[in-house]
Amino acid sequence: MLRRRAFLMIVVIALSLASAVRAQEIRVAAAADLKFAMQDVAAQFEKQTGTKVDVTYGSSGNFFSQLQNGAPFDLFFSADIDYPRKLDAAGIAEPGTLYEYAIGRIAIWMPADSKVDVASLGWKALLDAGVQKIAIANPEHAPYGRAAVAALQKAGIYDQVKPKLVYGENISQAAQFAQSGNAQAGIVAMSLVVSPGMKDGKRWEIPADMHPPIEQAAIVLKSAANKDAARALLDFVKSESGRATLAKYGFTFSPANAVTAPSSPQNK
Amino acid sequence: MDTVGGELNASMLAARVHLQRARAGSIPFLLDVSIQVPAGITILFGPSGAGKSTLLDCIAGLARPDAGRIVAGEEALFDSQAGVNCPPQARRIAYVFQTLALFPHMSAEENVYYGLDGMPPRERAARVDEILKAFRVEKLRARKPAEISGGERQRIALARSLVTQPRVLLLDEPLSGLDAELKAAIVDDLRAWNTARRIPILYVTHTREEVDALGERVIAMDRGRVISTGTPMEVLEAPRHKRLAQAAGFENLLSGTVVDLREADGVMRVRLNESHCEIEVPLGYAAAGDRVHVAIRAGDILLATSQPHDLSARNIIEGKIVALETRGTLVRARVNCGVEFIVHLTPGAVRSLDLAEGFRAWLVLKTHSCHLVEE
Amino acid sequence: MDALLLSLRLALCVSAILLAGGLPLAYWLAYSNWRGKFLLEAVVALPLVLPPTVLGFYVLVAMGPHGPLGKFWQTFFGHGLAFTFEGLVLASVLYSLPFAVQPLIASFESVDRKLLDASAVLGAGSLKTFWRVILPLSIPGIVTAVVLSFAHTMGEFGVVLMVGGNLAGVTRTVSIDIYDHVQSLEYADANRMALVLLAISFAVLSFVYAVNRQVGRQIGRRLWTPWAAN
Repeated sequence: MLRRRAFLMIVVIALSLASAVRAQEIRVAAAADLKFAMQDVAAQFEKQTGTKVDVTYGSSGNFFSQLQNGAPFDLFFSADIDYPRKLDAAGIAEPGTLYEYAIGRIAIWMPADSKVDVASLGWKALLDAGVQKIAIANPEHAPYGRAAVAALQKAGIYDQVKPKLVYGENISQAAQFAQSGNAQAGIVAMSLVVSPGMKDGKRWEIPADMHPPIEQAAIVLKSAANKDAARALLDFVKSESGRATLAKYGFTFSPANAVTAPSSPQNK
Repeated sequence: MDTVGGELNASMLAARVHLQRARAGSIPFLLDVSIQVPAGITILFGPSGAGKSTLLDCIAGLARPDAGRIVAGEEALFDSQAGVNCPPQARRIAYVFQTLALFPHMSAEENVYYGLDGMPPRERAARVDEILKAFRVEKLRARKPAEISGGERQRIALARSLVTQPRVLLLDEPLSGLDAELKAAIVDDLRAWNTARRIPILYVTHTREEVDALGERVIAMDRGRVISTGTPMEVLEAPRHKRLAQAAGFENLLSGTVVDLREADGVMRVRLNESHCEIEVPLGYAAAGDRVHVAIRAGDILLATSQPHDLSARNIIEGKIVALETRGTLVRARVNCGVEFIVHLTPGAVRSLDLAEGFRAWLVLKTHSCHLVEE
Repeated sequence: MDALLLSLRLALCVSAILLAGGLPLAYWLAYSNWRGKFLLEAVVALPLVLPPTVLGFYVLVAMGPHGPLGKFWQTFFGHGLAFTFEGLVLASVLYSLPFAVQPLIASFESVDRKLLDASAVLGAGSLKTFWRVILPLSIPGIVTAVVLSFAHTMGEFGVVLMVGGNLAGVTRTVSIDIYDHVQSLEYADANRMALVLLAISFAVLSFVYAVNRQVGRQIGRRLWTPWAAN
């Protein structure tokens, strides 16, 4: 009798230790354009709470498919609000956690040794004869690609530059095409343009009214192993320091923050 | 150069070859020979590993000697000092391998045509027809080698090589695996073909029977050296080397010590191994106490079931039959006389003498059936 | 379908180039006695172990304005090599190189050396020996090389992704197209294309293996199988 109780106690302690250990780590799926911003945010969060954040970067569309099929992430930072909405509607998301965390910005980027002065030419830079290839993300499934096409159309030069366009699988690859010099210019996320590898290049920020806003939203997954820690990270992103960090990477925020909802049962 | 009889003339092949190749583990392979091959068939005889195939490869240009000179007729094909090395394509030396190396994807006819590119088509066709007839394989011209049986494949291989009218023919055990009748037929056709053209033909073999069948001249090789040249009789009946004796079919190879010499009689007595069995052998270059080797053919030994008297033979040794093994038309008896002898008997003899294992027997050896050989 | 035709075109080009270039390379690797041969063999085999994305990445860099390939192409043609069909062909040739060369080497090495000796003694130089002895006896290996190159290129994804730029009719191969459809959640389209690709590939391979068996039987040699090639 005593032995059985002792055994049960050991099992309980072990399980709670295990879950305590698990409580120290969360897995995040983040859109490609968050590569540098999220690293920064995660580092700060880890320092503050001791919770380890394990981030996987990729295209939002890919993550969406994977999450639908049970991928074991705790938190999803999408570049397109559409996907988290769909997950919420499908009941895969933790109710009430949908949050628009930023609005993405795009810029025309060229390597530092380019002869074209894009900063002063703006759109006209893309019409230069020396620019033979322009890299954008694939508009069929990447929000940054769609935004780039919309902006080009609004600027009235889409038909002229269309033959020069090459498509990256996601915004990261588009940036890579431009950075390696294979494409002489790229329409790239601001958050990537300010990154170490690209910040020395020439750029021209595309005005936000040239394209529909790139609403980026996050969501906690219902199947999350570690909901509390996930919520804590989301709270951090919503906080002053979180938003300041994102702003450093060129993100802006919608004034109304229309789709905010309390992320934890107790209101802040 | 070892001369093999026959004068040096325009159709002769002469080769002096020195070649050394490292071998895995043991002592390196060394080939060091100097031969002359006149028109007609010369046999290159010796045990496996003697270097015969390597010598042929050097003559054909498929292997490169470290030093030496190879001359066919008046043209130097290889001369290490003068820096001459004619590629095999240009040597006009025909070479038939043991495996024949017929091109499996071509018909017999196409195989024979192979070496004749660059010749006007009509002349080419005429030559091919002629040689296919000469070697009696006309009906097989459209067949592939896989569809042709034993002896006829050899004929095609010969036809393929000879249609190019080479100045030398090299044959590396080309008839192995064929029965005696087939072999003889092919050899006859080859000889017939050669009576007109008279080129040197170097024929490698390691079987005694082929030497006897072809028998013009023999060059015996062992361990990379020429050890004997002459007629088959000279080289094989009285082999001077133990390995050659083995190759030539001497079943009894015994070691012994010279006991004493009788120059007047031209004989010496030898005590075999560590037994007290002593025999008389022809006088050789040895002194009392020297170690010698004696080779005796099993077929040269007589067996008696009672002690013989008044015989001319000088060696009568008593012993006991240890084993009797029937091998087809031959009975192989092992007789222990302190030293074990192998004796060949006919089944009839075994029956009429009512021989069985365990019987006492007396062996009779003629002095001149005992051959002294070197190690 | 554009993408399918493009993939077929790419696969045919790459197979043709690999056959033309692979034969001399394989010949040299099979018959040379150079002591440094093992280094070249390792280089040829590299694409077998490198992830296609790694290969694609390095090819992309080499094609860039500062890379050797890029500079060369720019001088001759006035524009870059990336995002072009030619760029895909180049990358695919590198990627499928071992699949073509290794079966060829194995085939050449399996030709009885004595046949080569016999050919030489009968007066044939290296070219004639190659053309009339080695090549006919290597047909199964050649077929394997072509089939593997073709199939491997049809299915290629990682390398095309890295250097293609996804241009319709130019670099949007069928594998990229299928992937795009999946990304855009157009699963029905993706399925359809994938089935067509599967059917065509299966038909091509079956045909080739049937022919190979016939050819092998004629020469009386063992049938070549791709898993024996490596």
